[in-house]
Amino acid sequence: MSETQGFPPGWSYNPASWGQRVPIVLLAILGFGIATYMALFQLNVFGTVWEPFFGNDSRKILTSSVSRVLPIPDAALGAIGYLADALTGAIGGTRRWRTMPWIVIMFGLAVGPLGFISVLLVILQPVMFDAWCTLCLCSAAISVIMIGPAMDEFLASMQYMRRVKDARVSLWKAFWGYKEVQGKVI
Amino acid sequence: MWAQVLNALLGIWLMASPAIIGSEKIATDNAHIAGPIIASFAVISWWEATRSVRLYNLPVGAWLLLAPWVLQYQHTAPLVNDMVVGALVIGLSLVKGKITDQYGGGWSAIWKSKEQ
Repeated sequence: MSETQGFPPGWSYNPASWGQRVPIVLLAILGFGIATYMALFQLNVFGTVWEPFFGNDSRKILTSSVSRVLPIPDAALGAIGYLADALTGAIGGTRRWRTMPWIVIMFGLAVGPLGFISVLLVILQPVMFDAWCTLCLCSAAISVIMIGPAMDEFLASMQYMRRVKDARVSLWKAFWGYKEVQGKVI
Repeated sequence: MWAQVLNALLGIWLMASPAIIGSEKIATDNAHIAGPIIASFAVISWWEATRSVRLYNLPVGAWLLLAPWVLQYQHTAPLVNDMVVGALVIGLSLVKGKITDQYGGGWSAIWKSKEQ
């Protein structure tokens, strides 16, 4: 009965079920909120930034040279990343690991680099500026926590693409979920 | 999983430790770099599908054992801290823990061809 429930072959559960995906989407929305708040501070919409532990450190970090390396403030880039995570996590039904691998693979690829950049920024805070920023740390923790639970669905889609290749079905059509290849390979 | 929870806490401890036990510049920077890396790899490996990421902490733990000598720490506190944390991280990274779900052959199934 595992196929009727959308389990990938050889799996004991469906990684694309809502129970698996909703917590990740909620985390991404929380991260989006935090990053947006920090970006608005960086854009001078807010005059102060919430910092319960490290005094003036958050201001130091959020107005640092690193935060202005790109044309947009780094927190705005983070907000865009979280939004991409939330959208690619939410779009598609519970069989999307095989009906639309492109979105699952984009989801996996969106979650990974966001986590990596967040950790890099956490390292730069104390090493370059001798300061800590509470909300930046929260944001980094969220983005790292999201990686593990997102990867099982990514794995299911990658295994599906492997089976598509072995069955000599068009990888391109399977990747984009063309109707004509649906059901040829499970 | 409990072992990787402990490793995540060890990583966070490493980040906080220079402010608590006192340290010198080079040892402080080293702890501030290694700490987040250890915590991140540990957190990613909390989930079964990515449990093998715990092994990425082995070289980081080994570096902590070497760092006091390579970077020539002058103070005892960060030296002892790095050695103890490094040894614990290596030991805990080797604990795989229970895997209760099945993942269709795991990550290696992506690279292996099953010709029919």
